[in-house]
Amino acid sequence: MNPRIFSLVLFAAALPAQPPKLKLWSLQPVARPAVPTDAAHPVDAFLAEQHQAKGLRPNGPADKLTLLRRATFDLTGLPPTAAEQAAFLADDSPAAYEKLLDRLLADEQHGVRYARHWLDVLRYADMDGNDGGVMPASGSIWRWRDWMIQALNDDLPYDQFVRAQILGNRHGGRPALTVFGTRTRAEAMPQDQFALGFLSRAALTGNDRDQDIAIQAVETISAAFLGMTVACAKCHDHRFDPIKQSDYYAMKALFDPLVLRTVSLATPEQIYAYGKAVAAYRRRKEPVDQAIEQLIAPYHEKLYAERVSMLPPDVRAIVLKPERKRTEAEQKIADDYFPVLRIDPPKMKAIMPAEVVKAYDALLKEQREIKAPAGLESHVIVEEDAARLQRPTYILTSGDPTKPEKDKPVAPGFPFQPPDTDFRYGRREGFVDWLTDKDNPLFARVAVNRVWQWHFGQGLQKSPSDFGLLGGRPSHPQLLDYLASEFTRHNFSMKWLHKFLMTSAAYRMDSKPGEANQKIDPANDLLWRFRLQRLEAEPLWDAILSSAGELDRTVGGKSFQIVKTDNKQSIFLPKDGTFEARKNRRAAYMTRGYIPSTEVMAHFLQSFDVDDGRTPCPVRTQTVTAPQALFSMNDPLIEDATAKLAARAQKAGELPAAVQLAYRETIGRPPSPGELDRALSYLGGDAAKLKGLAWMLYNLDEFLFVR
Amino acid sequence: MLTRRILLRLANGFLGTAVGSLWAADGRMPAALLPGTPRAKSVIYIFLCGGMSHIDTFDPKDNKYAGTMMDAIGFGDNNAPMKRPVIPILRTYKRYGQAGIPVSDWFPHVGGVIDEFAVVRSMYCHQTNHFPAVIEHSTGKPLRQFEHPSLGSWVTYALGSANKNLPSFVNIGRPSSPVQLTGGYLGARYSATPFQPGDTPIPNLAAPASATRAERDRQMEALTALNAEFRAEYALDAEIAARVQAYELAGSLMRTAPAIVDFAQEPGHVKALYGIGEKETDDFGRQLLLARRLVENGVRFIQLCHAGGGNGSWDAHGDMETHAPLCRAVDKPVAGLIQDLKQRGLLDETLVVFTSEFGRTPWSQNTTGRDHNGKGFSTLLAGGGVRGGVVEGATDEVGYKAVERPHYISDLQATILQQMGLNYKKMDFHTNGRAFHLIEEGTGPIQAILR
Repeated sequence: MNPRIFSLVLFAAALPAQPPKLKLWSLQPVARPAVPTDAAHPVDAFLAEQHQAKGLRPNGPADKLTLLRRATFDLTGLPPTAAEQAAFLADDSPAAYEKLLDRLLADEQHGVRYARHWLDVLRYADMDGNDGGVMPASGSIWRWRDWMIQALNDDLPYDQFVRAQILGNRHGGRPALTVFGTRTRAEAMPQDQFALGFLSRAALTGNDRDQDIAIQAVETISAAFLGMTVACAKCHDHRFDPIKQSDYYAMKALFDPLVLRTVSLATPEQIYAYGKAVAAYRRRKEPVDQAIEQLIAPYHEKLYAERVSMLPPDVRAIVLKPERKRTEAEQKIADDYFPVLRIDPPKMKAIMPAEVVKAYDALLKEQREIKAPAGLESHVIVEEDAARLQRPTYILTSGDPTKPEKDKPVAPGFPFQPPDTDFRYGRREGFVDWLTDKDNPLFARVAVNRVWQWHFGQGLQKSPSDFGLLGGRPSHPQLLDYLASEFTRHNFSMKWLHKFLMTSAAYRMDSKPGEANQKIDPANDLLWRFRLQRLEAEPLWDAILSSAGELDRTVGGKSFQIVKTDNKQSIFLPKDGTFEARKNRRAAYMTRGYIPSTEVMAHFLQSFDVDDGRTPCPVRTQTVTAPQALFSMNDPLIEDATAKLAARAQKAGELPAAVQLAYRETIGRPPSPGELDRALSYLGGDAAKLKGLAWMLYNLDEFLFVR
Repeated sequence: MLTRRILLRLANGFLGTAVGSLWAADGRMPAALLPGTPRAKSVIYIFLCGGMSHIDTFDPKDNKYAGTMMDAIGFGDNNAPMKRPVIPILRTYKRYGQAGIPVSDWFPHVGGVIDEFAVVRSMYCHQTNHFPAVIEHSTGKPLRQFEHPSLGSWVTYALGSANKNLPSFVNIGRPSSPVQLTGGYLGARYSATPFQPGDTPIPNLAAPASATRAERDRQMEALTALNAEFRAEYALDAEIAARVQAYELAGSLMRTAPAIVDFAQEPGHVKALYGIGEKETDDFGRQLLLARRLVENGVRFIQLCHAGGGNGSWDAHGDMETHAPLCRAVDKPVAGLIQDLKQRGLLDETLVVFTSEFGRTPWSQNTTGRDHNGKGFSTLLAGGGVRGGVVEGATDEVGYKAVERPHYISDLQATILQQMGLNYKKMDFHTNGRAFHLIEEGTGPIQAILR
């Protein structure tokens, strides 16, 4: 639907001047509903109720290879190889499909795929910045991404997954009684420090001048884990949902004490080696620095004296005073005049004799060539600052950190806070206890709805980050509640949830549209067929490289950059060494982000609807556009892949076998007899034309869509 | 302060499949359309990245304060209050045209067509550093708290496209900030499409060298055959219908867009007008000629970013002389554009805007250059119903602040909107339960310069 019309409709519907004091459905406790009929799978039982009520006849099961391609892309973001297709077809045991799911869930690429989903929701970006600066965590933020991949592969329970990212401690950090009867804090798993990238990623300056850590924590956590648009309350009480401006700032107070801290990841050996390298660097550089200083001294002195004499008398007096005799105010004035008094090399050169300029240039060149050793490996976390813990939090006018309303202090807290919240062991700890509590009606509902959306292409609640009044109501409230209660009962196991959803008949349905059903439910909200899904940018990239035999499947590591920037722009980018050189890795590792001065997102990602990661992206839009077609037709990546896929196909043997292989590697099935005929007739017996055939396969609708 | 996180995404969840033309054909703001025929059909928006000095170009001041210290704000130095030396203006001004408007020796060609231009000398903005100011300039908002769209995308959104084979909002040249191209909450399809001068105005527009035309045609034909079974099964799916359209559009783009950037048919004297073939003006001349050709093809908003990337080359902190080559690079092409549009009868329906994110201070940071100055700067407009040969507003006697009839940058936007047939008061967009207004400040269209 046209977003404008949609929002207008909502707006109009929700316009009564005094919003009625609604009891939001999403705030009601999750009650585990009884499964309605005796369908083989509870999911199908709930869906069947509405099918029957509306006269919909759900599609039958999809064929095996369709299901294999669907499940493989879904769980790993990769296409099934020809060998995997043969193996799955060969297994005609009743448990073949379950075995497939188990294999895919155990595959380490599963974490890569689902981390990408979560990172969208949690606004992961490799770069973010404003006004020339780049977020301090930029160089190490990928460690948070890698932590997440690992956590998902380990099936870290969802509550711990969330706790770790907010606290850096999956256990919650509360004291427990040890066997010796002493109370001590549950120790964090060491790797959970990397989960804190979730919070440290927010800061756009080293001192977090604009309080981005706290502000983003409030907005991202409330949207991602509570499905509530608390962000509106930054400037005013929420117009529709029961969230006050004071709630926003109370929640902000939970995170206000947080500051950035850089943690070294170096071994003692590396630290010693680095120390030696720094000493050597200084030994080389110092004499050059001194020589330069000596050479420029007379010219610098002359120009400096000239400038000082040009200063207004009061400023001149301050500048001429020795530093220790200046008052604080005077020191500030002197500092403010630093740029005025700074003498740049060109100015000095202008008054030097030619031979001195020559000597100066030679020294400057020498100085430039002495490179400082590369810094030690480190990453950026957040921690509570003792001084900040003492500071009160105020409501900010329009969210502006420079405009605290001093008459409106707020205590740490959060929306819907129960009266007995225990903050004794920390502000965030008290909040996270409530957030991840199995009785929190939003926590599991929001999570299962997201996972449902990633499997079925649309959530039961269509707006996965808005369970408030504007978000509308879920299509199957009982199913949502059933899933939420089962998810909780299964100890928040995400792998359990994946398998549970994927073993339903609904997931295994054919995706073909049918006229009769289409008339009743054109948007397929009631799931009478599996939704045809366009590949997102990442699996598309991976599928191209994989079919060409080029994909590097290494899990984790630095991101790689395919955008070329010129020199003028590169000064705004993170320093060298931030990015990985190999560019044939999975697209999950392709840099994304935003810098006001510089385009850093690959055109490829943009044209296939990937966000820059500045704000949470709960739903990827799925456009079908001309630039996408231009990519598939003409991009050098495709040109290169067609040659490589053709070469692979040719090795399969005669032309019919080559066509078979090319089909299997791209669209996960052999060609139909008709398609094989047409392909062979295009080839006309000429193996050199396999490259052309490969081009066609990359441009097939079926290559871009998962049915 | 630049906190701009808000969850507008929530509404975007419902965008669904953007079917149909990549570049929306129909305007989406019927309520904002003014009655009658709009004065301008297209806008050519020339943006000089980094901040052109107004007092060295179109806003002459005498040098009586040169050498004195004045109370200043260190815009480039954390906005600290301080005293700064006023530096002399080394330009000579000459009065041009019937109107006798003074123009400095850096813009002799523009001087030659000054009777077509209205010179607004009293522009101001709030931001004092490049990226915030550029963002303010393109979005009309001093802060980026939300994903505000740029002016070009508002115009595209409101008016739709006049040529469905081409985008309505085109950017040429490297911008200072990607925000200058953004469709923001209006959606990515209203973003500027970057056009490169050269054979490939849009990425991937040309087939790889290995693909011959004849072979590609055969492949397209075979591709259609191979798609047939799937398309028959999924004919009811909107996405699949959109695929067919997307390929058709891509094909027509591949055919038409290169022809627009191919200047082979342009007569030599027209190219000469733009300074094409001369070393210093060739590059920008080509961009402006491309802009004219886009105007002829119904593109509504053509934004040209000159010397962008980083802070922008017009950022003359160190030495005002760095302006000289930049002025030479744009002077003749801009004058040529005006003459060319006029001789084709296109000037009346094409609004040409010539501006920077801000101007420069009368003082220096103890260099021979000037600091940023958002408090007063000049913008030039021509064509599209603008009265030529007029000067509007004034800065104070040193050129620091706009003091006579000051115009916030929203006034420039309101002027453009009005000339394009849009009611600037109704440029509103509703999402996530609230309304966003493009114009929230200022005094409305600059009526004094309009016919």
